[in-house]
Amino acid sequence: MNIDMLPIEIVGLKAELTRTVDILRQLGFVQIETLADMGEISARPLSLAPEILRSQEEMSVLLARIEGLLDLLPGEPFTQREFSMPQNPLEEARENIETLLPKVQHLTAQQEKLKAELSSLPRYEATLRKLLPIIPSSARRPGNVTVGVLVSRLHVGVLDSIGKKIMDMTEGLADVIASDVGSSTHAMLVVFPQEFTAEVETMLGREDVSRLRLPAELGQGPPDVILGTLQHRINTIPLELKDLERQMALISKEWSLKLAAWRRALQEALEKNAILSHFGETDQTFVIGGWVPDKYFPELIAELKDAVGETVLVRRLALTAEMKKQAPIILKNPAAAQPFESLVNLLALPRYGRIDPTQLMAFFLPIFFGMILGDIGYGLVLLALSLTFTRRIQPGTARDILKVLAIGAGWSVVFGVLYGEAFGTLGEHWGLHAVWFDRASSEHVAGLLVMTLAVGAVHLTLGLVLGVLEAARDKSRGHLLERGGMLVGLISLFILVGALSGYLPDELKTPAWAGMLTGITLLGASMGWLGVLMGPIEFIGLIGNLLSYLRIAAIGLASVYLAKVANDIAGMAGNLVVGAIIAVLIHALNLVLGAFSPTIHSLRLHYVEFFRKFYEGGGRAYQPYKSNF
Amino acid sequence: MESGIGIGLTAIGAGLAVGLAAIGTGLAQARIGSAGAGVIAEKPEALGTIILLVAIPETMVILGFAVAAMILLLGG
Repeated sequence: MNIDMLPIEIVGLKAELTRTVDILRQLGFVQIETLADMGEISARPLSLAPEILRSQEEMSVLLARIEGLLDLLPGEPFTQREFSMPQNPLEEARENIETLLPKVQHLTAQQEKLKAELSSLPRYEATLRKLLPIIPSSARRPGNVTVGVLVSRLHVGVLDSIGKKIMDMTEGLADVIASDVGSSTHAMLVVFPQEFTAEVETMLGREDVSRLRLPAELGQGPPDVILGTLQHRINTIPLELKDLERQMALISKEWSLKLAAWRRALQEALEKNAILSHFGETDQTFVIGGWVPDKYFPELIAELKDAVGETVLVRRLALTAEMKKQAPIILKNPAAAQPFESLVNLLALPRYGRIDPTQLMAFFLPIFFGMILGDIGYGLVLLALSLTFTRRIQPGTARDILKVLAIGAGWSVVFGVLYGEAFGTLGEHWGLHAVWFDRASSEHVAGLLVMTLAVGAVHLTLGLVLGVLEAARDKSRGHLLERGGMLVGLISLFILVGALSGYLPDELKTPAWAGMLTGITLLGASMGWLGVLMGPIEFIGLIGNLLSYLRIAAIGLASVYLAKVANDIAGMAGNLVVGAIIAVLIHALNLVLGAFSPTIHSLRLHYVEFFRKFYEGGGRAYQPYKSNF
Repeated sequence: MESGIGIGLTAIGAGLAVGLAAIGTGLAQARIGSAGAGVIAEKPEALGTIILLVAIPETMVILGFAVAAMILLLGG
């Protein structure tokens, strides 16, 4: 079922536009459409005043800056209740952001720089420590420069050549000392008078060697002096970071709530303006088109009249067949069937005015689930688990699926009693006997298969009857022939099977053959000339659909035998504790499969076998214009 | 002895009916499933359609099961 919707047109004086939009937003039940989608209405698109466009642009930029600031400032996200809305958020934001943003960006940049420095310093410390033992005394003499060079051990010969060149260049005034500083690296320290710096640097630049380059913050000097500075930095950077964090926390304390309030105000203002692009206008009036649930129509008229007066008119548009195709849909089902809406929507939302299969699914799906799982023990455990988790999670698809699982688990207990199963064959040890039949015993397997085919026959026939009714309502000849042909052929097939197996009189064989041929002919006729070939193929496909219901038996039997295996292996263990552990593990696995597999397969039987006979998805969800805050 | 061989062959036949159909279904579902996972990553709202597409080849293994059941119930 779906709620009746009305297409409407709202026309008013342009002076009342803002007030009207506010009222519609406050009411929150009108779905506003672009005028092009509301066929009957003719008006040119509303052109927005340049000052509105400018203000929108300014608000978007401000909003981006505020969001950037809130990302940078420390603290938890805010809830709506924590802040009060400012009187003039746009003005306040405009005044303060320009000064606040550079300040926060500067502090953040400083933090990043210090963190990067803190993470790189220990690497330099390790290298410098290895150089300490080889520092010559000349390194501390004023007027001398110390340079470090690193090469791979494989190219250690290069250092000798460089050392020789430096000695020549400085006329023997330099000190050159080399040593291993790692498993694969060799280092050389060169101390020379300051006046040779340019020549030495040029020569080292020409040689393809790595210089030991240290951050500028550590200053110049021999390695031991630099190491001292480095250790001092390692100790002081955390303190500087703490100070920066304190400053950020102070800013956050002072501004975060205000920023959050401005952000909300700007988001609301932008959202309000965004809807204006859907409106139309004449010289003096604005025009709004949209949909409203039938039951809210009188309230809409009354509220607009109260708030705006007689200058705004609401007109009900004709709900033509063309309009119905575009109408948004609100499903209306009894509370017990509502969780199944999510499963129907998982495939596609029904179209407005067409069959909503939710209630049919709510009836059949849990029964299929129960027929497949059919175990008192598993059913009770699943029921307890699904009810427990249902209460703990937020409303939504996951919660709906858990509710569906709970109903299915209830049916599983019912079929468990009928089949006489509790944790597979364990029930037998407690004196449990099948009320109907034991599906795992070889003499009942044939009966089980026939039962599932019978269920499939009912399900498919119902789907085809609904399909025929839909086709008749649409006056769609092709669909009527196709679904009618399938229905006639299928019913004739049932009669034929009944007559062949002796359950029905022998005289029915000929009419049944004739009926089946008629059905196939009708089915073929719906496809034109191709139908000569496709008609019989489609009918075979229909039989395939029917056989597909055998999965109810097949998956159910797999579950029973896995449970039996769990019990038998546990019995063979010879030790109570080990046996219990084995049984619990295998039963737990079976329970997980028992929750997942019957759900998926029952869903498949609905989506593929049942829905395809009548269901037409592709509906549009109802999205009324309202505040999202 | 003959009946023993007969039972064995019947069981092998039934096993092949389900097993080969299951391999076919598995191959089809592997291809559809991997393509479907890509689609869901791009369009999560297509989940229902993908479940439907993945579920379609299962008919093969169910038909295999039907044939196996017929072999065992009618032939055995």
